[in-house]
Amino acid sequence: MNIQEYISSGIVESYVLGLAEDSERTAFEQMCTLHAEVRAARDAFELSLEQQALSAAVAPPVTLRQNILQQLAAETVPESNSITPVVQMRPIRRSPVPMAMRYVAAAAVVLLVASAGLNIYYFNKYRDYSQRYDQLLAQQTELAKNNNAMQTRMGNYEQTIKGLTNPYMAKITMEGKDVPNNGSPDPRSLATVLWDTRSKDVYLMVNNLPMPETGKQYQLWAIVDNQPVDAGMLDMSYGHMMVKMKNIPRAQLFAITLEQRGGSSTPKGPMYVMGKV
Amino acid sequence: MGITLTYTEQELVSLLRNRDNKAFAYLYDNYASALYSIILQIVSDAELANDVLQEVFVNIWRRIEQYDMGKGRLFTWMMNIARNASIDTLRSKGYQNSRKNQSIEDNVDTLQVTDVLQPGVDTIGLRKVLEKLKAEQRILIELAYFKGYTHEEIAELEKIPLGTVKTRIRNALIQLRELLK
Repeated sequence: MNIQEYISSGIVESYVLGLAEDSERTAFEQMCTLHAEVRAARDAFELSLEQQALSAAVAPPVTLRQNILQQLAAETVPESNSITPVVQMRPIRRSPVPMAMRYVAAAAVVLLVASAGLNIYYFNKYRDYSQRYDQLLAQQTELAKNNNAMQTRMGNYEQTIKGLTNPYMAKITMEGKDVPNNGSPDPRSLATVLWDTRSKDVYLMVNNLPMPETGKQYQLWAIVDNQPVDAGMLDMSYGHMMVKMKNIPRAQLFAITLEQRGGSSTPKGPMYVMGKV
Repeated sequence: MGITLTYTEQELVSLLRNRDNKAFAYLYDNYASALYSIILQIVSDAELANDVLQEVFVNIWRRIEQYDMGKGRLFTWMMNIARNASIDTLRSKGYQNSRKNQSIEDNVDTLQVTDVLQPGVDTIGLRKVLEKLKAEQRILIELAYFKGYTHEEIAELEKIPLGTVKTRIRNALIQLRELLK
Protein backbone atom coordinates (compact mmCIF):
# COMPACT_ATOMS: atom_id res chain seq x y z
CA MET A 1 0.00 0.00 0.00
CA ASN A 2 1.49 3.33 -0.97
CA ILE A 3 1.11 6.50 1.03
CA GLN A 4 -1.82 7.82 -0.96
CA GLU A 5 -3.74 4.58 -0.55
CA TYR A 6 -2.93 4.62 3.15
CA ILE A 7 -4.16 8.18 3.50
CA SER A 8 -7.40 7.49 1.67
CA SER A 9 -8.06 4.21 3.52
CA GLY A 10 -10.07 6.00 6.20
CA ILE A 11 -7.33 5.63 8.82
CA VAL A 12 -6.95 9.41 9.07
CA GLU A 13 -10.59 9.93 10.00
CA SER A 14 -10.65 6.84 12.17
CA TYR A 15 -7.62 8.11 14.11
CA VAL A 16 -8.83 11.66 14.52
CA LEU A 17 -12.31 10.66 15.64
CA GLY A 18 -10.86 8.24 18.18
CA LEU A 19 -12.21 5.14 16.44
CA ALA A 20 -8.89 3.51 15.57
CA GLU A 21 -7.64 0.50 17.48
CA ASP A 22 -4.48 0.82 19.57
CA SER A 23 -2.25 -0.91 17.02
CA GLU A 24 -3.67 1.29 14.25
CA ARG A 25 -3.10 4.40 16.37
CA THR A 26 0.54 3.55 17.04
CA ALA A 27 1.14 2.79 13.36
CA PHE A 28 -0.58 6.01 12.30
CA GLU A 29 1.47 8.14 14.69
CA GLN A 30 4.58 6.52 13.25
CA MET A 31 3.42 7.26 9.71
CA CYS A 32 2.80 10.87 10.70
CA THR A 33 6.36 11.30 11.88
CA LEU A 34 7.69 9.58 8.77
CA HIS A 35 5.48 11.11 6.06
CA ALA A 36 4.56 14.77 5.79
CA GLU A 37 1.66 13.82 3.46
CA VAL A 38 0.03 11.75 6.19
CA ARG A 39 0.49 14.56 8.65
CA ALA A 40 -0.95 17.03 6.17
CA ALA A 41 -4.00 14.80 5.58
CA ARG A 42 -4.53 14.53 9.31
CA ASP A 43 -4.23 18.30 9.79
CA ALA A 44 -6.67 18.92 6.95
CA PHE A 45 -9.29 16.54 8.36
CA GLU A 46 -8.86 17.92 11.87
CA LEU A 47 -9.31 21.43 10.57
CA SER A 48 -12.45 20.59 8.62
CA LEU A 49 -13.86 18.77 11.64
CA GLU A 50 -13.08 21.74 13.86
CA GLN A 51 -14.66 24.18 11.42
CA GLN A 52 -17.71 21.98 11.15
CA ALA A 53 -17.99 21.77 14.95
CA LEU A 54 -17.59 25.52 15.33
CA SER A 55 -20.21 26.21 12.70
CA ALA A 56 -22.55 23.72 14.34
CA ALA A 57 -21.87 25.14 17.81
CA VAL A 58 -24.72 25.23 20.32
CA ALA A 59 -24.34 27.81 23.05
CA PRO A 60 -24.55 26.33 26.52
CA PRO A 61 -26.63 28.11 29.20
CA VAL A 62 -25.09 31.50 30.03
CA THR A 63 -24.80 30.73 33.76
CA LEU A 64 -22.65 27.71 33.02
CA ARG A 65 -19.67 29.85 32.02
CA GLN A 66 -19.42 31.46 35.44
CA ASN A 67 -19.82 28.11 37.23
CA ILE A 68 -17.20 26.33 35.21
CA LEU A 69 -14.59 29.10 35.31
CA GLN A 70 -15.09 29.44 39.07
CA GLN A 71 -14.62 25.74 39.51
CA LEU A 72 -11.42 25.83 37.45
CA ALA A 73 -10.09 28.73 39.53
CA ALA A 74 -10.67 26.61 42.65
CA GLU A 75 -8.91 23.57 41.18
CA THR A 76 -5.49 22.71 42.49
CA VAL A 77 -2.76 21.66 40.13
CA PRO A 78 -2.96 17.88 39.91
CA GLU A 79 -0.16 15.86 41.43
CA SER A 80 1.58 13.33 39.29
CA ASN A 81 -0.85 10.71 40.63
CA SER A 82 -3.21 11.03 37.69
CA ILE A 83 -2.51 7.89 35.74
CA THR A 84 -1.92 8.66 32.09
CA PRO A 85 0.72 7.67 29.60
CA VAL A 86 1.98 11.18 29.07
CA VAL A 87 2.25 11.95 32.76
CA GLN A 88 4.07 8.67 33.21
CA MET A 89 6.39 9.63 30.42
CA ARG A 90 7.41 12.91 32.02
CA PRO A 91 9.54 11.51 34.86
CA ILE A 92 11.24 9.28 32.30
CA ARG A 93 11.92 12.26 30.08
CA ARG A 94 13.12 14.27 33.04
CA SER A 95 15.23 11.47 34.46
CA PRO A 96 18.31 12.04 32.25
CA VAL A 97 18.88 15.38 33.95
CA PRO A 98 18.72 14.11 37.56
CA MET A 99 20.74 11.03 36.55
CA ALA A 100 23.37 13.25 34.99
CA MET A 101 23.27 15.43 38.08
CA ARG A 102 23.65 12.32 40.20
CA TYR A 103 26.78 11.35 38.34
CA VAL A 104 28.10 14.87 38.66
CA ALA A 105 27.29 14.84 42.38
CA ALA A 106 28.96 11.45 42.82
CA ALA A 107 32.01 12.68 40.95
CA ALA A 108 32.04 15.80 43.11
CA VAL A 109 31.90 13.72 46.30
CA VAL A 110 34.73 11.48 45.07
CA LEU A 111 36.81 14.53 44.19
CA LEU A 112 36.06 16.11 47.56
CA VAL A 113 37.13 12.99 49.45
CA ALA A 114 40.26 12.68 47.32
CA SER A 115 41.01 16.33 47.86
CA ALA A 116 40.53 16.01 51.63
CA GLY A 117 42.84 12.99 51.65
CA LEU A 118 45.48 14.91 49.71
CA ASN A 119 45.07 17.83 52.08
CA ILE A 120 45.83 15.61 55.07
CA TYR A 121 48.74 13.98 53.24
CA TYR A 122 50.27 17.28 52.19
CA PHE A 123 49.63 18.87 55.58
CA ASN A 124 51.54 16.05 57.28
CA LYS A 125 54.27 16.38 54.73
CA TYR A 126 54.35 20.11 55.22
CA ARG A 127 54.58 19.70 59.01
CA ASP A 128 57.39 17.18 58.61
CA TYR A 129 59.34 19.47 56.27
CA SER A 130 58.63 22.46 58.47
CA GLN A 131 60.10 20.64 61.46
CA ARG A 132 63.09 19.53 59.50
CA TYR A 133 63.57 23.06 58.19
CA ASP A 134 63.50 24.44 61.74
CA GLN A 135 66.07 21.85 62.81
CA LEU A 136 68.32 22.69 59.88
CA LEU A 137 67.94 26.39 60.59
CA ALA A 138 68.93 25.85 64.24
CA GLN A 139 71.90 23.76 63.17
CA GLN A 140 72.92 26.34 60.64
CA THR A 141 72.68 29.13 63.25
CA GLU A 142 74.72 27.04 65.67
CA LEU A 143 77.33 26.38 63.02
CA ALA A 144 77.46 30.06 62.10
CA LYS A 145 77.88 30.99 65.76
CA ASN A 146 80.62 28.41 66.21
CA ASN A 147 82.24 29.63 63.04
CA ASN A 148 82.15 33.21 64.33
CA ALA A 149 83.66 32.16 67.65
CA MET A 150 86.34 30.18 65.84
CA GLN A 151 87.14 33.10 63.59
CA THR A 152 87.38 35.42 66.59
CA ARG A 153 89.71 32.99 68.33
CA MET A 154 91.69 32.52 65.14
CA GLY A 155 91.98 36.28 64.82
CA ASN A 156 93.15 36.52 68.39
CA TYR A 157 95.73 33.78 67.93
CA GLU A 158 96.96 35.42 64.74
CA GLN A 159 97.33 38.68 66.63
CA THR A 160 99.11 36.93 69.49
CA ILE A 161 101.54 35.23 67.10
CA LYS A 162 102.05 38.52 65.28
CA GLY A 163 102.79 40.22 68.59
CA LEU A 164 105.14 37.46 69.71
CA THR A 165 107.04 37.47 66.42
CA ASN A 166 107.13 41.27 66.15
CA PRO A 167 110.83 42.30 66.40
CA TYR A 168 109.88 45.71 67.83
CA MET A 169 107.85 44.17 70.63
CA ALA A 170 109.41 44.38 74.11
CA LYS A 171 108.57 41.44 76.37
CA ILE A 172 108.20 42.02 80.09
CA THR A 173 107.65 38.95 82.25
CA MET A 174 105.71 39.64 85.44
CA GLU A 175 106.09 37.07 88.19
CA GLY A 176 104.49 36.52 91.56
CA LYS A 177 107.84 35.96 93.22
CA ASP A 178 109.00 39.42 92.13
CA VAL A 179 106.35 41.12 94.21
CA PRO A 180 108.13 42.87 97.03
CA ASN A 181 108.07 41.25 100.49
CA ASN A 182 106.63 38.06 99.03
CA GLY A 183 103.35 40.07 98.91
CA SER A 184 101.68 38.09 96.05
CA PRO A 185 98.68 36.01 97.22
CA ASP A 186 99.83 33.40 94.69
CA PRO A 187 103.63 33.43 94.11
CA ARG A 188 103.26 31.07 91.10
CA SER A 189 101.32 33.76 89.26
CA LEU A 190 102.74 34.72 85.86
CA ALA A 191 101.76 37.22 83.18
CA THR A 192 103.51 38.81 80.21
CA VAL A 193 103.34 42.37 78.93
CA LEU A 194 104.20 42.94 75.28
CA TRP A 195 104.97 46.55 74.60
CA ASP A 196 105.31 47.86 71.09
CA THR A 197 108.36 50.07 71.25
CA ARG A 198 107.24 52.15 68.25
CA SER A 199 103.52 52.64 68.83
CA LYS A 200 103.77 52.30 72.63
CA ASP A 201 100.65 50.06 72.58
CA VAL A 202 100.60 47.63 75.50
CA TYR A 203 99.35 44.02 75.16
CA LEU A 204 98.83 41.60 78.03
CA MET A 205 99.05 37.87 78.00
CA VAL A 206 98.01 35.87 81.08
CA ASN A 207 100.16 32.85 81.71
CA ASN A 208 98.91 31.88 85.13
CA LEU A 209 96.57 33.82 87.37
CA PRO A 210 94.01 32.43 89.81
CA MET A 211 90.39 32.97 88.71
CA PRO A 212 89.19 36.11 90.50
CA GLU A 213 86.17 35.85 92.80
CA THR A 214 82.98 37.47 91.54
CA GLY A 215 82.90 41.24 91.86
CA LYS A 216 86.72 41.36 91.52
CA GLN A 217 88.80 42.01 88.39
CA TYR A 218 92.53 42.17 87.62
CA GLN A 219 93.90 45.59 86.70
CA LEU A 220 97.21 46.29 84.92
CA TRP A 221 99.31 49.16 86.11
CA ALA A 222 102.27 50.92 84.61
CA ILE A 223 104.60 52.41 87.17
CA VAL A 224 105.90 55.68 85.79
CA ASP A 225 108.36 57.54 88.00
CA ASN A 226 106.98 55.66 91.04
CA GLN A 227 103.43 56.65 90.16
CA PRO A 228 100.91 53.89 89.15
CA VAL A 229 99.11 54.61 85.88
CA ASP A 230 96.02 52.60 84.87
CA ALA A 231 96.90 50.42 81.89
CA GLY A 232 93.51 48.69 81.53
CA MET A 233 91.28 46.00 82.97
CA LEU A 234 91.86 42.33 82.36
CA ASP A 235 89.16 40.07 80.92
CA MET A 236 89.89 36.50 81.92
CA SER A 237 87.70 35.04 79.21
CA TYR A 238 90.43 35.67 76.64
CA GLY A 239 92.53 33.04 78.30
CA HIS A 240 96.17 32.93 77.31
CA MET A 241 95.84 35.17 74.34
CA MET A 242 97.34 38.56 73.78
CA VAL A 243 94.89 41.30 74.67
CA LYS A 244 95.39 44.90 73.73
CA MET A 245 95.54 47.22 76.74
CA LYS A 246 96.13 50.97 76.91
CA ASN A 247 98.85 53.01 75.22
CA ILE A 248 101.65 53.70 77.69
CA PRO A 249 104.39 56.01 76.37
CA ARG A 250 106.80 55.54 79.27
CA ALA A 251 107.12 53.16 82.26
CA GLN A 252 109.66 51.50 84.50
CA LEU A 253 107.48 48.70 85.93
CA PHE A 254 104.29 46.81 85.16
CA ALA A 255 102.15 45.16 87.85
CA ILE A 256 98.74 43.52 88.24
CA THR A 257 96.53 44.00 91.28
CA LEU A 258 93.11 42.53 92.06
CA GLU A 259 90.59 45.34 92.27
CA GLN A 260 86.86 45.85 92.54
CA ARG A 261 85.13 45.08 89.23
CA GLY A 262 85.47 48.05 86.86
CA GLY A 263 88.81 49.04 88.28
CA SER A 264 90.24 51.71 90.55
CA SER A 265 92.03 55.00 89.91
CA THR A 266 94.85 53.96 92.23
CA PRO A 267 95.71 50.37 93.21
CA LYS A 268 94.02 49.28 96.44
CA GLY A 269 93.99 45.51 96.25
CA PRO A 270 96.79 42.98 96.59
CA MET A 271 99.50 42.80 93.95
CA TYR A 272 99.76 39.43 92.17
CA VAL A 273 102.64 39.94 89.76
CA MET A 274 105.27 42.55 88.97
CA GLY A 275 107.98 42.93 86.30
CA LYS A 276 110.64 45.40 85.42
CA VAL A 277 110.91 46.90 81.98
CA MET B 1 -17.00 40.28 22.88
CA GLY B 2 -15.40 43.54 21.86
CA ILE B 3 -11.67 43.24 21.56
CA THR B 4 -10.90 39.55 21.50
CA LEU B 5 -7.40 38.36 22.20
CA THR B 6 -6.25 35.69 19.85
CA TYR B 7 -3.50 33.25 20.62
CA THR B 8 -1.63 30.80 18.48
CA GLU B 9 -2.45 27.27 19.56
CA GLN B 10 1.06 26.97 21.00
CA GLU B 11 0.69 30.12 23.10
CA LEU B 12 -2.72 29.01 24.28
CA VAL B 13 -1.48 25.56 25.30
CA SER B 14 1.44 27.11 27.12
CA LEU B 15 -0.86 29.44 29.04
CA LEU B 16 -3.28 26.60 29.80
CA ARG B 17 -0.40 24.57 31.20
CA ASN B 18 0.35 27.48 33.52
CA ARG B 19 -3.30 27.27 34.60
CA ASP B 20 -3.80 30.81 33.38
CA ASN B 21 -7.40 31.82 34.23
CA LYS B 22 -7.66 34.18 31.26
CA ALA B 23 -6.58 31.45 28.90
CA PHE B 24 -9.30 29.16 30.24
CA ALA B 25 -11.85 31.93 29.85
CA TYR B 26 -10.62 32.36 26.27
CA LEU B 27 -10.87 28.61 25.73
CA TYR B 28 -14.40 28.60 27.07
CA ASP B 29 -15.52 31.58 25.01
CA ASN B 30 -14.15 30.11 21.80
CA TYR B 31 -14.79 26.40 22.16
CA ALA B 32 -17.45 25.73 24.80
CA SER B 33 -20.27 25.98 22.25
CA ALA B 34 -18.60 23.63 19.79
CA LEU B 35 -17.91 21.13 22.58
CA TYR B 36 -21.41 21.55 23.98
CA SER B 37 -22.77 20.67 20.58
CA ILE B 38 -20.71 17.46 20.48
CA ILE B 39 -21.86 16.55 23.99
CA LEU B 40 -25.49 17.18 23.10
CA GLN B 41 -25.20 14.89 20.08
CA ILE B 42 -24.28 12.05 22.43
CA VAL B 43 -26.16 12.61 25.69
CA SER B 44 -29.02 14.67 24.16
CA ASP B 45 -30.29 15.67 27.58
CA ALA B 46 -29.50 19.38 28.18
CA GLU B 47 -29.25 19.01 31.98
CA LEU B 48 -26.82 16.13 31.59
CA ALA B 49 -24.91 17.99 28.88
CA ASN B 50 -24.32 20.89 31.30
CA ASP B 51 -22.71 18.50 33.79
CA VAL B 52 -20.63 16.88 31.06
CA LEU B 53 -19.41 20.25 29.75
CA GLN B 54 -18.28 21.12 33.26
CA GLU B 55 -16.54 17.78 33.55
CA VAL B 56 -14.88 18.30 30.17
CA PHE B 57 -13.37 21.63 31.22
CA VAL B 58 -12.19 20.21 34.52
CA ASN B 59 -10.57 17.37 32.57
CA ILE B 60 -8.91 19.80 30.19
CA TRP B 61 -7.63 21.77 33.18
CA ARG B 62 -6.29 18.68 34.89
CA ARG B 63 -4.89 16.88 31.89
CA ILE B 64 -3.52 19.67 29.71
CA GLU B 65 0.03 18.36 30.28
CA GLN B 66 -0.94 15.17 28.50
CA TYR B 67 -1.91 17.01 25.35
CA ASP B 68 0.71 16.25 22.71
CA MET B 69 0.78 18.83 19.95
CA GLY B 70 2.59 16.37 17.72
CA LYS B 71 -0.40 14.05 17.70
CA GLY B 72 -3.02 16.53 16.68
CA ARG B 73 -4.77 19.82 17.17
CA LEU B 74 -5.92 21.04 20.57
CA PHE B 75 -9.54 21.03 19.44
CA THR B 76 -9.31 17.38 18.33
CA TRP B 77 -7.95 16.51 21.77
CA MET B 78 -10.75 18.42 23.50
CA MET B 79 -13.34 16.95 21.17
CA ASN B 80 -12.24 13.44 22.11
CA ILE B 81 -12.38 14.36 25.81
CA ALA B 82 -15.93 15.62 25.25
CA ARG B 83 -16.92 12.49 23.35
CA ASN B 84 -15.43 10.13 25.94
CA ALA B 85 -16.94 12.06 28.88
CA SER B 86 -20.34 12.01 27.18
CA ILE B 87 -20.24 8.29 26.46
CA ASP B 88 -19.03 7.56 30.02
CA THR B 89 -21.84 9.66 31.46
CA LEU B 90 -24.38 7.93 29.26
CA ARG B 91 -23.17 4.53 30.40
CA SER B 92 -22.83 5.34 34.12
CA LYS B 93 -26.28 6.89 34.21
CA GLY B 94 -27.62 3.78 32.63
CA TYR B 95 -29.32 6.33 30.50
CA GLN B 96 -30.21 4.17 27.59
CA ASN B 97 -29.60 0.97 29.50
CA SER B 98 -32.25 -1.55 28.87
CA ARG B 99 -34.57 0.08 26.40
CA LYS B 100 -32.18 1.33 23.72
CA ASN B 101 -29.78 -1.62 23.84
CA GLN B 102 -32.62 -3.97 23.66
CA SER B 103 -34.21 -2.16 20.81
CA ILE B 104 -30.97 -2.45 18.91
CA GLU B 105 -30.55 -6.10 19.71
CA ASP B 106 -34.13 -7.00 19.04
CA ASN B 107 -34.63 -4.99 15.95
CA VAL B 108 -31.33 -5.11 14.18
CA ASP B 109 -32.88 -5.82 10.82
CA THR B 110 -35.54 -3.22 11.08
CA LEU B 111 -33.52 -0.64 12.95
CA GLN B 112 -34.37 2.78 11.66
CA VAL B 113 -32.20 5.81 12.01
CA THR B 114 -34.90 7.54 14.01
CA ASP B 115 -34.88 4.74 16.57
CA VAL B 116 -31.25 5.26 17.32
CA LEU B 117 -30.94 8.99 17.04
CA GLN B 118 -32.13 11.11 19.87
CA PRO B 119 -35.01 13.35 18.89
CA GLY B 120 -33.98 16.92 18.26
CA VAL B 121 -30.30 16.30 17.96
CA ASP B 122 -30.18 14.82 14.52
CA THR B 123 -29.98 18.21 12.97
CA ILE B 124 -26.77 19.43 14.57
CA GLY B 125 -23.10 18.82 14.09
CA LEU B 126 -21.77 15.62 12.63
CA ARG B 127 -25.18 14.04 12.76
CA LYS B 128 -26.42 16.50 10.21
CA VAL B 129 -23.52 15.59 7.96
CA LEU B 130 -24.09 11.90 8.59
CA GLU B 131 -27.64 12.20 7.30
CA LYS B 132 -26.16 12.13 3.84
CA LEU B 133 -24.69 8.67 4.38
CA LYS B 134 -26.44 5.43 3.61
CA ALA B 135 -28.52 4.10 6.52
CA GLU B 136 -26.38 1.01 7.03
CA GLN B 137 -23.32 3.25 7.35
CA ARG B 138 -25.09 5.75 9.60
CA ILE B 139 -26.03 3.06 12.09
CA LEU B 140 -22.45 1.81 12.35
CA ILE B 141 -21.09 5.34 12.84
CA GLU B 142 -23.84 5.94 15.38
CA LEU B 143 -22.84 2.88 17.38
CA ALA B 144 -19.09 3.37 17.04
CA TYR B 145 -18.76 7.10 17.41
CA PHE B 146 -21.78 8.27 19.39
CA LYS B 147 -22.28 5.17 21.54
CA GLY B 148 -18.64 4.16 21.86
CA TYR B 149 -19.08 0.50 20.95
CA THR B 150 -16.05 -1.46 19.80
CA HIS B 151 -16.03 -3.04 16.37
CA GLU B 152 -16.43 -6.46 18.00
CA GLU B 153 -19.47 -5.30 19.98
CA ILE B 154 -20.98 -3.84 16.87
CA ALA B 155 -20.37 -7.03 14.93
CA GLU B 156 -22.18 -8.93 17.64
CA LEU B 157 -25.02 -6.44 17.91
CA GLU B 158 -25.56 -6.15 14.20
CA LYS B 159 -24.91 -9.81 13.49
CA ILE B 160 -22.46 -8.97 10.72
CA PRO B 161 -18.85 -10.12 10.30
CA LEU B 162 -16.18 -8.04 12.04
CA GLY B 163 -14.42 -7.42 8.72
CA THR B 164 -17.60 -6.02 7.25
CA VAL B 165 -18.05 -3.72 10.24
CA LYS B 166 -14.54 -2.37 9.76
CA THR B 167 -14.91 -1.91 6.04
CA ARG B 168 -18.28 -0.18 6.33
CA ILE B 169 -17.03 2.17 9.01
CA ARG B 170 -13.91 2.96 7.00
CA ASN B 171 -16.00 3.66 3.92
CA ALA B 172 -18.36 5.81 5.94
CA LEU B 173 -15.42 7.80 7.30
CA ILE B 174 -13.97 8.30 3.81
CA GLN B 175 -17.31 9.70 2.69
CA LEU B 176 -17.49 11.82 5.81
CA ARG B 177 -14.24 13.49 4.86
CA GLU B 178 -15.62 14.37 1.48
CA LEU B 179 -18.82 15.69 3.06
CA LEU B 180 -16.87 17.90 5.44
CA LYS B 181 -14.85 19.52 2.63
